[in-house]
Amino acid sequence: MAEYIFRVFRYDPEKDEGTRGRVQEYKIGVERGWTVLDALNYIKWHVDGSLAYRRACRHGICGSCGMTINGKNTIACEQQVADLGTQVVTVEPLRGFRVIKDLIVDMEPFYDKLYAIKPYLIAYSDPPTDKERLQSPEDRKLLDGKYECILCGCCTSSCPTYWADKEFLGPNALMKAARFAVDSRDEGWEERVNAIDDKHGVWRCHTIFNCVEACPKELNATRAIVELRRLMLKGRL
Amino acid sequence: MLEKPSVIKRYRLHVGTIAWILHRATGLLLVLYLMLHIWVIHHVSQGPAGFNKVMKAVQSPLFLFLEIGLLGCVLYHAFNGLRIIIVEFSREGVEAHKQIFAAMMAVAVFLFLVGGVPMFIHFLHVLAG
Repeated sequence: MAEYIFRVFRYDPEKDEGTRGRVQEYKIGVERGWTVLDALNYIKWHVDGSLAYRRACRHGICGSCGMTINGKNTIACEQQVADLGTQVVTVEPLRGFRVIKDLIVDMEPFYDKLYAIKPYLIAYSDPPTDKERLQSPEDRKLLDGKYECILCGCCTSSCPTYWADKEFLGPNALMKAARFAVDSRDEGWEERVNAIDDKHGVWRCHTIFNCVEACPKELNATRAIVELRRLMLKGRL
Repeated sequence: MLEKPSVIKRYRLHVGTIAWILHRATGLLLVLYLMLHIWVIHHVSQGPAGFNKVMKAVQSPLFLFLEIGLLGCVLYHAFNGLRIIIVEFSREGVEAHKQIFAAMMAVAVFLFLVGGVPMFIHFLHVLAG
């Protein structure tokens, strides 16, 4: 068991109104194999029950526990404390979003961007069979690296472009747009293109690559964005 | 809801972030230089005497030293710009952007030395009178 100091961002809307939040330090023993989420759970269950954060699956698939750990976005359940390499661990809410309480942020703007690109299969033609729209293995393979997103918000929250422009669709929504753009079954390009081909859309990205560094699923949103740009360029030429 | 929460630790600077910040900074400096350049060149309209006067000023040691910085800005901005073009238009450039950055910076540093060392020697000569 190793001693760690957790410096956790705290904001209670009832007590801290008018402030920009505070830092609370917790000195706890961390067992081998603990993730940051395990440490937060320990704090909440044994030290300070008032600490608020989102969590659900602790398996890296629900996307609830996205937060900024030691200045980098990731999901707390996949971040081993020992791998951080520091005895002092800072835990902050995802930046770029409004804080509701402690580590809980308002994800609505993030979801709004996703809805804006219509994140569902759009098809006008009838299915070729009465059962389903089939896809060849090659066509299916095109979706790899684009569909696995768990909506944790780490990418959009790490994006300096999003920090500066809250209207920017962000890496998450643009990757979802790319996912449907390359889907052989989808016919919704015309419906989505106006949202994507916008000054707050695909052209806003400055290829800073923070989203790629942040994604806990190791997806490459920048790749999706440059692919979308190439598609648009091709459509115009 | 808290609009602007305080930050405990600055967001980590990755290669891509640093490349972008430097690209912005050198870009702004180049715009400033361009304005200065146009201002200097416009003195040509005042005839030889006026032009020579301003040329004398920009050949002072201070400007000779700043010119080395200008070379650095141009080289960084050009070669990082090339990196961005490769990232945008090549098939695998997105995956290899860090390696491309390293390669581009190696070329840029080489050219900076090739151009910057003679410029620095010239600067020292002028400084010594």
